[in-house]
Amino acid sequence: MGFFLVLKAELVRTFIIMRRYWFATLTSLVIGYGMLMGLILGFMARRDQVTEMIDNRFGVDPSSATNAALGLIIGSFAFGIIGIFSQGLQNMARSGQLEQLCLSPHGLVTNFLARSLVGSTASILTSSIILFLVAHSVEGRIYADPLPVAALLFLTYVDLIGFGFMLGGLVLLFKQTGQIAVIVRIALLGLAVWASDRVDTGYAVLDALVHILPVTDAAICLKHVLIRNQILLDTGQFVSVFEISSFYYLVLNSLVWTAIGISVFKWMENWSRDKGTLGSY
Amino acid sequence: MNPGYMVEVANVNKVFHTHHFLQRHEESGKRAWYRKKTVRAARNISFGIRKGEIFGLLGPNGAGKTTTVKMISGLVRPTAGAVYVDGMNVDTKRLATLRRIGVVLEGTRTSIWPLTPLENLAYFGNLRDVKGPVLRKRGMELLDLIGLKDKMNVQVRHLSRGQKQKLAICIALISDPPVLLLDEPTTGLDVQSSRSIKDKILEITRELGKCVLVTTHDMNVAQELCDNIGIIADGRLVACKPTHALIDYFSDVTCAFYLDRAADPTPFLGIPGVLSAECNSEDGEYALVLRLIRQEDQRSAALYAIVELLKNSGRLLHGVERRKQTLENVFIQLTSGLPPATGD
Repeated sequence: MGFFLVLKAELVRTFIIMRRYWFATLTSLVIGYGMLMGLILGFMARRDQVTEMIDNRFGVDPSSATNAALGLIIGSFAFGIIGIFSQGLQNMARSGQLEQLCLSPHGLVTNFLARSLVGSTASILTSSIILFLVAHSVEGRIYADPLPVAALLFLTYVDLIGFGFMLGGLVLLFKQTGQIAVIVRIALLGLAVWASDRVDTGYAVLDALVHILPVTDAAICLKHVLIRNQILLDTGQFVSVFEISSFYYLVLNSLVWTAIGISVFKWMENWSRDKGTLGSY
Repeated sequence: MNPGYMVEVANVNKVFHTHHFLQRHEESGKRAWYRKKTVRAARNISFGIRKGEIFGLLGPNGAGKTTTVKMISGLVRPTAGAVYVDGMNVDTKRLATLRRIGVVLEGTRTSIWPLTPLENLAYFGNLRDVKGPVLRKRGMELLDLIGLKDKMNVQVRHLSRGQKQKLAICIALISDPPVLLLDEPTTGLDVQSSRSIKDKILEITRELGKCVLVTTHDMNVAQELCDNIGIIADGRLVACKPTHALIDYFSDVTCAFYLDRAADPTPFLGIPGVLSAECNSEDGEYALVLRLIRQEDQRSAALYAIVELLKNSGRLLHGVERRKQTLENVFIQLTSGLPPATGD
């Protein structure tokens, strides 16, 4: 019950700010749309050369334009969620809001779960609008089935929050973790763009490590659903997400990372109470 | 644990360790790869606050006031000792105690600036489990009580510092907590805003029966507002008494003798019972200001000896005044270890 009240409070706050600062909301949509369209049109204009080049170099799926575009969207989603816990938390500490959240009787974990859930919903909404506009602009060459995509995005969110909580704990303790957080966020963005159908680096240990990292399997599953569905229209074949191992890695990863992340965050929260850094900048 | 107290701080100690790399030593000037510093922010602090009481915590910068407030609100964990709110240990039942506390720390930064006061109250009310018609009613009542009703739909960023401070108090009170912790609520405010905040705190405490802890640098605020005062210096609680008792404790020992000309204070220091002596020029008169021992019989003897010495020195005695002590003088004396500067 308490969680839903916090969730409601965050939802109202976020959408009031989005509405009140409508120009910023609108320009971010326009910029997102412009970047994605530029990327897709660039691929389309030089599709043959690019796919030939990519095939020669990496041997990846010819639908690389969609792959890269989706990777960018998923990566941005990951970038945003981790950002809520790192830069977002740092900004809250600077503005004084973090102290107030620390004084909430629901605890920081509940507050951040609600905050990140609302942040992710807002991010999904804006990404969906951009995706819809891009799909419309390129005459439906990107196809998105909303239900499995929403389910997978939720799993992606769960997969990422554990990692986010760990970074958030570091911010509670040290505050000046900005550059580390930026590196992690860019790495996740890169991982989301890079991960396609499967992970095959040629080294078993490296493959396992890449699977352990959040966002890899989430990106693979989302791209699988979106790109295969696109192929479904052409070939009439249905390829289910349940048939790929990455889906199960994603579920397992989500559970493990969330448990580890929240435990580490609580431990760091107590440590920061000892250090006297909780809530302050 | 004393059941009569709403808030009890029992033998609390707090030690902070800071780690420094490649820092130059303050005295030797030598640079070290690694140095650990230890700061004792609280040393055996103990006090209690009852329901309906305003407790003032005074102290110079870095004395440990904010650390004490943060320990009561659970933001900082004591190294030793315990803090109880409504009978519950803050360390072990932190979230439950937070339901009984409203805190204002650096008030102007408490609220969300892009939102209006009403939206802020709705947001923070939800975070504290207040909802629906109760939230709206209480929000309106608080804004009315604090004098912000006409600004309820203006974004916080457009409000003045004093108004933001008032809003912070409303936010702290939105869940109707029995305990209110105010960390320097009047710092940086003009005289009118400061007086207004002070009046509102009094009104809230008396009308709503809250237990309030105020930390402040403003002695007037403390003297007029607080029932009890604790003076903290270098992490130690050097005094903790009812406000009038704290002032009385020092007020009966300072006397001014108004003379026709200046007098050398040195011979007066030789009189048993005289603690300090100084001679000041005030409005064309000379005032010999003497601090005397508290024991009545010894003080009486000292006063006769002073008058005798003045008479023998051939000076005209225009008058004698027992000086009223101010909290500021008491504070300065207690925190610096120096004799207080007296004033009317």
